[in-house]
Amino acid sequence: MTNVARTGQTLLIVASSMLFAAFTSAMVVRRATGTDWIAPSVPVWLWAAALLALSASWLVMRGLYRPAALCGFLLVASQIAYAASLRMGDVAQSFAAVLVTAHAAHALFGACALWWKGERASLFWHFAGALWLYVLWLIGVWA
Amino acid sequence: MTIFSTDHKVIGKQYIGLSLFAVLIGMALSLVMRYHLVHPDAKVRLFQMLWPDGAPGGQMTPELYLSLMTMHGTIMVFFVLTTAPQSGFGNYFLPLQIGAHDMAFPVLNMLSFWTTALSFLVLMAAFVVEGGAPLSGWTAYPPLSALGKIAGPGQGLGQDLWVLSIALFCVASLMAAINFIATIIELRAPGVGYFDMPLTAWAWFVTALISLFAFAVLLAGGILLLLDRVAGTSFFIPGGLVVSDQIQARSGGSPILFQHLFWFFGHPEVYIAILPGMGVISTVLSVFSGKKVFGYRAMAYALLAIGGLGFLVWGHHMFISGMSPYSSVAFSVLTLAIGVPSAIKTFNWIATLWGGRIRFTAAMLYALGFVSLFITGGVTGLVLGQPGLDLYFHDTYFVVAHFHLIMGVAAIFAIFAALHYWFPLLYGRFLNETLGKIHFYGTFIGVYAVFVPLHFAGIAGNPRRYPDFKEYEFLKSLMPLHVGVTHAAYSLAAIQLLFFFNYFWSQRKGKLADKNPWGAATREWTHD
Repeated sequence: MTNVARTGQTLLIVASSMLFAAFTSAMVVRRATGTDWIAPSVPVWLWAAALLALSASWLVMRGLYRPAALCGFLLVASQIAYAASLRMGDVAQSFAAVLVTAHAAHALFGACALWWKGERASLFWHFAGALWLYVLWLIGVWA
Repeated sequence: MTIFSTDHKVIGKQYIGLSLFAVLIGMALSLVMRYHLVHPDAKVRLFQMLWPDGAPGGQMTPELYLSLMTMHGTIMVFFVLTTAPQSGFGNYFLPLQIGAHDMAFPVLNMLSFWTTALSFLVLMAAFVVEGGAPLSGWTAYPPLSALGKIAGPGQGLGQDLWVLSIALFCVASLMAAINFIATIIELRAPGVGYFDMPLTAWAWFVTALISLFAFAVLLAGGILLLLDRVAGTSFFIPGGLVVSDQIQARSGGSPILFQHLFWFFGHPEVYIAILPGMGVISTVLSVFSGKKVFGYRAMAYALLAIGGLGFLVWGHHMFISGMSPYSSVAFSVLTLAIGVPSAIKTFNWIATLWGGRIRFTAAMLYALGFVSLFITGGVTGLVLGQPGLDLYFHDTYFVVAHFHLIMGVAAIFAIFAALHYWFPLLYGRFLNETLGKIHFYGTFIGVYAVFVPLHFAGIAGNPRRYPDFKEYEFLKSLMPLHVGVTHAAYSLAAIQLLFFFNYFWSQRKGKLADKNPWGAATREWTHD
């Protein structure tokens, strides 16, 4: 990967991090100020989806980009299925839906980039994987 | 030349063209608002033709006034002040100044411009959809902006389009920020260190860094707001809200939360608008004084300090939101701290002039005008940074006058200075100097004639965002002031036509320019 591409990806990661930092701070404030917060339930299979993200990163490190992208697409499918099951009228569930859907958009972008660009998308994919662990912790443990 | 060009020069001109078109619309809206303020009962056939629902029988409704105010603010802040100084001039001149062949990601650059253009079209579409344009202001505070059609005309599809437009603009700005930063970090020519870059390049660099951090947060706020409007969530809608005699079903949301997200972007946005202008002015003052910029490194560090501190002061826009007085003091101290790097810049500009052989070209006059406006607008910023004073001034014309001088007009003076200075590179000809100087004096006198009296209106307690002053006894005595301001605004707008004539006429008929006509020392003038 060229220095320009690496720098570009790093900057994209900074922008994405700010987006999720903003969602997180909104969630923290909203939970603290309301009395209607009921933690969303996170099914076991969504926890298992973390393995897909980790597997994809493992495959990327071994140069198996298209299998890694397939893991990424499966992760996106599981995220969409979970988000679709949430009630937008419930505040905690709506935050979970926003976070998971926003991550799904990132994961879809990362998986497509892995499929077509291979190694050049590896840095972003590792970030997307780590970000998914964070989102899972946020909605499954902290919330 | 293709309109989907990936060439940085073409894209720079496209951004400048979009901004010039946007500023015409924004200016026209402000004139209509000023006309309405002094003739609130007038029936104008043109209003009825343009806005049949908002001006039945030609008489403007309060809702239409608020929607014009919303669109004026949004167009000017996003599509003029954010777009021209950074993306317009930056795209054209940054690669030339640092010795790069183009921006780091030319295709992304093209996509960034067209996303901005699409965002502008989406915003304009709000004028023609059912209900018209939104009326919640450029800050789009909920719950008004979150409730939907029930909150009034323009709060239906018009507000949806506004939020969508701003979300698109955020995406475009993030793409542009990534491109600018990557270009400066990776594509500087051999031998061009960070402290070898002109201050214009430094200003574009710091502005891009601010954009990278700020627009992502506004995007998050926009997504949450859009979901409140279309998906039934309640991030920003509080419980027990009664609108049009109907209790709203949603509950628990916090309108203040949106204000935090908005102003975390909104205050840095002030610097996104003004920092590129500071870079341009530093260069123009130096060139036309025949001296190097005084305290180059201090100027670069001051840009970084302003950019960094800008992220710590958003709370001063929310002093009246009921925040803790301890928080107010913290935000106030940090706000006043921005005065230090700002003063470093101002004193260094004056020191640059000191002892120089000054050439009073049109570009130089605009640069001097910028310094004047920056000081005038900055001083009133110190007033508004005091929580006790802001409680009184916040919703008055004092704030309108302050931010128009410091953020709006100062930045636009920098755009004029930049156009006069770089026109020979943009079009191979000069802008007409005589017309430029007449335009400068008319504009300089005009902006002070409009905005100084508005400070006094604010001190007298004149609220902003009111469409009809005659309804209030305590405002009647201020009507002569508003009549004077409105006439000054008409004159100010008329003199801008001279600029547009000069801009288009000089592209074809202006005096041909030599390669480096101003005797500048930066790379863009020596580039083949």
